[in-house]
Amino acid sequence: MKLALAFLAVLVSSSALAFKPTRTIEVVVHTGPGGGSDILARAVAGMIEKEKLLPVRMQVVNKTGGGGAVAAAYLAEKAGDENTIGFFTGVWLTGPLTSPEYKVTLRDLTPVARLVLEPALIAVKADAPFKTMADFINAAKQNPGQLKQSGGSPTSRDNVVRQLLQKHTGARWAYISFPGGGERIAALLGGHVNMMVIEPAEAGEHIRAGNMRVLAQVSDSRLPGFPGVPTLKEAGFDIPAVPQVRGVVAPPKIPAENVAYWEDVLLKLTKTASWKKFLADNQFEDGYQNAQDLTKFYDEFTARMREILKEAGLKLVR
Amino acid sequence: MRHRSPDFWSGLALAALGAYIVAQARGWDYLTDDGPGPGFFPLWYGIAILACSAWLVVFGKSPGANWQGAGRALATWGAVALAVTLVKFIGFALAFGAVAFFIVAVMYRRSPAVAALVALCTVAGFYLVFPLALGVALP
Amino acid sequence: MDIAAGLLHGFALALQPLNLLWCFVGVLLGTIVGIMPGLGPPATIAMLLPLTALMNPAGAIIMLAGIYYGAKYGGSTTSILLNVPGESASVVTCLDGYAMARKGRAGPALGIAAIASFIAGTVGVLGLMLVAPPLAKLALAFSSPEYFALMSLGLAMVVLLAGKSMVKALLAMLVGLWIAGIGTDVFTSQSRFTFGHMELLSGIDFVVVAIGIFALGEVLANMEAREEPQVLPVPKGLRNLLPTMQDLRDCRFAFAQGSVLGFLVGVLPGAGSTIASFISYGVEKAFSKRRDQFGTGVIEGVAAPEGANNSETGGALVPLLTLGIPGSGTTAILLAALVLWGFKPGPLFIAENPGMFWGLVASMYIGNVMLLVLNLPLVPLFAQVLRTPVYVLYPLIVGISIVGVYAGSGSLFDLYLLAGFGLLGYLMRKLDYPSAPLILGLVLGGAMERALRQSLMMSEGHLSILVSRPISAVMLALALVVLCIPLFSRFNTWRLRAMEQEES
Repeated sequence: MKLALAFLAVLVSSSALAFKPTRTIEVVVHTGPGGGSDILARAVAGMIEKEKLLPVRMQVVNKTGGGGAVAAAYLAEKAGDENTIGFFTGVWLTGPLTSPEYKVTLRDLTPVARLVLEPALIAVKADAPFKTMADFINAAKQNPGQLKQSGGSPTSRDNVVRQLLQKHTGARWAYISFPGGGERIAALLGGHVNMMVIEPAEAGEHIRAGNMRVLAQVSDSRLPGFPGVPTLKEAGFDIPAVPQVRGVVAPPKIPAENVAYWEDVLLKLTKTASWKKFLADNQFEDGYQNAQDLTKFYDEFTARMREILKEAGLKLVR
Repeated sequence: MRHRSPDFWSGLALAALGAYIVAQARGWDYLTDDGPGPGFFPLWYGIAILACSAWLVVFGKSPGANWQGAGRALATWGAVALAVTLVKFIGFALAFGAVAFFIVAVMYRRSPAVAALVALCTVAGFYLVFPLALGVALP
Repeated sequence: MDIAAGLLHGFALALQPLNLLWCFVGVLLGTIVGIMPGLGPPATIAMLLPLTALMNPAGAIIMLAGIYYGAKYGGSTTSILLNVPGESASVVTCLDGYAMARKGRAGPALGIAAIASFIAGTVGVLGLMLVAPPLAKLALAFSSPEYFALMSLGLAMVVLLAGKSMVKALLAMLVGLWIAGIGTDVFTSQSRFTFGHMELLSGIDFVVVAIGIFALGEVLANMEAREEPQVLPVPKGLRNLLPTMQDLRDCRFAFAQGSVLGFLVGVLPGAGSTIASFISYGVEKAFSKRRDQFGTGVIEGVAAPEGANNSETGGALVPLLTLGIPGSGTTAILLAALVLWGFKPGPLFIAENPGMFWGLVASMYIGNVMLLVLNLPLVPLFAQVLRTPVYVLYPLIVGISIVGVYAGSGSLFDLYLLAGFGLLGYLMRKLDYPSAPLILGLVLGGAMERALRQSLMMSEGHLSILVSRPISAVMLALALVVLCIPLFSRFNTWRLRAMEQEES
């Protein structure tokens, strides 16, 4: 009797995991080699191999262009293909809102899981007169439009934080876009702008050397690396901590059991020691969400983005 | 009819481009709160293109280019362009092989055997060097 | 630690057999990667990153750096022999390099490229070693107004690239500016000139344009002739395969200014080796006695840009190693690599990791020597490539162009663009439009527009910011001077002719 039950159990479990990849998995990223998504994808592939979570290899494929539009369209073309997945980032969510050419949204594809959240810090030059976030906001209120922030494109998280803060406090300051991270930091350190939103990994060394000071954290709870810095909420600015998200997505028309398989693999990954080390090294937050939660998150996020971008004066197309 | 210099035609074509650029640029913001908008630069260089090409149309007088061999050159271009569009369907090997064959056989009048050999060798060479040795994908 | 001690420590590290091996592997790979159009250091380094996790970090950075500056050596090879730029910084080398090859001087061209690269590479390392920290602070003073002035200076160089018709050169440059503007405006996310194609949202890759116009255009132009016995005369005898003493003398100024200018431009985050090579070429032409011959195969026209793009690598490492700021795509990946191995690049990096820093510096000296030794003897070998019969060579060039473009982006759309630009290159040749100004406009246009708008945002709309800051004011003044050079020389010729007429 026990044997029969055991046999049944094996049968049931193996059919639940009926999907198993048999060919090399193609992992689509929207940056070129060395870009953020590319590095993350390669790191994840490496860890999955090391922890033997997949029976097959993963091969990173770069489909650059259009801030993710090309990669998204490529995934859409591969509808039904079980051996392809992609890594998405925040631009995949905001891009379709402002560019008519960006035809494929995350909803058109099959969301699989959200993996990481990237918190940020609000930093100023070490010799700036601002010691707290409130100092900066007050200075901005007294000199509207004269203080400057360096950051990426207007749809990036840097500007979103600025828009939310401006709306919340009534202060106003200018935003100057620099396409490269290095240039943004150089602008701050050279005294050409007053403030920037920067990732903890980028800022770490400058803070240690005493060139930068952190006013607040854009995060729900304090990061382990910065125990002395208040979060925006703690500093008195009750705005949502806008994360930079990264996760996994699959082509459309993928059966639910495949999605479950991937969710499972990725969940297992997030529990491994190498993942925890990866997060700690890069100062990411574990933001694992399964497909269902991710879809909900996506809807909320885009709705909020739409409002924010409209207020920022950008032309929306969707 | 007075023989027009080629500058006249290229000037006209460029003027058309300039006009298009200016027209598009007018549809975008010239100046925003934060500074010059997306229309700023294009408007100015569009105008510059219009001005320069107008100058060319009126004053340009370079001697007519020697168009004798143009047919051959354009035919080759046609072959390349066709091959590139077909790569999506028949892959690099066939498309490029066809172009190589075309160039050798048609342009240089070598025998079809030589053309086929060249085409084969170059395609093989590419496959050896790029995907195999360097791990670079071919179209 | 002071320089002498540091250097000794560094050489001790770099001369270890394993690290020497990694250095050699790196520079060899770099040369190969540089020769192949479309395959560049960023892609190669990124692909090798996982492997480096298994190596010791010193060896790993030595190897990756070797790939970085090694690629600049190799990039000139296809530019000179086939008019196909091996990498974006080698576009300028195509101008005089290929012309020299057509005149049978491919060997000296390749040789001088290697020699200039060696001299400049060494100067770059010297600079990195001696003046890195103070220079880095100075580089921080450089921001958008200064960049705008620098780009204006670069664009002003168009008057030096003009040739016969200034109007056509201007038009070419303006079209280049337009192509640079295709894509998404970074400040407003407004898409411009994309014709509804999402592949154009991030603009047109420079490599596609350059290979299309130069390589394909050249092949198409050559298709016109029915038969050509041999494309390019191949020099006979070893003496003709290497630069002569006269050549070396002619290039004295090029060696000097290429090295220094390249290094300085490299230090600025965001200004790359393409800009460095253009500026160096322009300066060389401006100061040369035979400036009218530039473009027809003047050896200093090869030495200057090749030197500049090599010392630029030394310069680009300055902000990376002293401040942790990556100045270009490749240095960004190097930064990621350093982080991967557990280092923290930033202002304290050198002080806390003297072994890594000095080991790297020492290895760069060694690497440059290795590259010279590798490349010079290969010159006669490469020159033999020109012996290939035309009907094999041209299909080969077409194939390399296609593969090179596809390797860079994996996009079929780029291939269509390549074909289009090939046609454009051919038409430009027939209608006498110079192609260098177009490339110049393309390279500088985007950066210049961004810099101007950033500057105006910084100053809240006052143009005065461009002249109130000393560095940008000086460069803008220089740009004006450059613009007046043709007037000056025309005035001079007129004056001389008037004097001659008086005397007769």
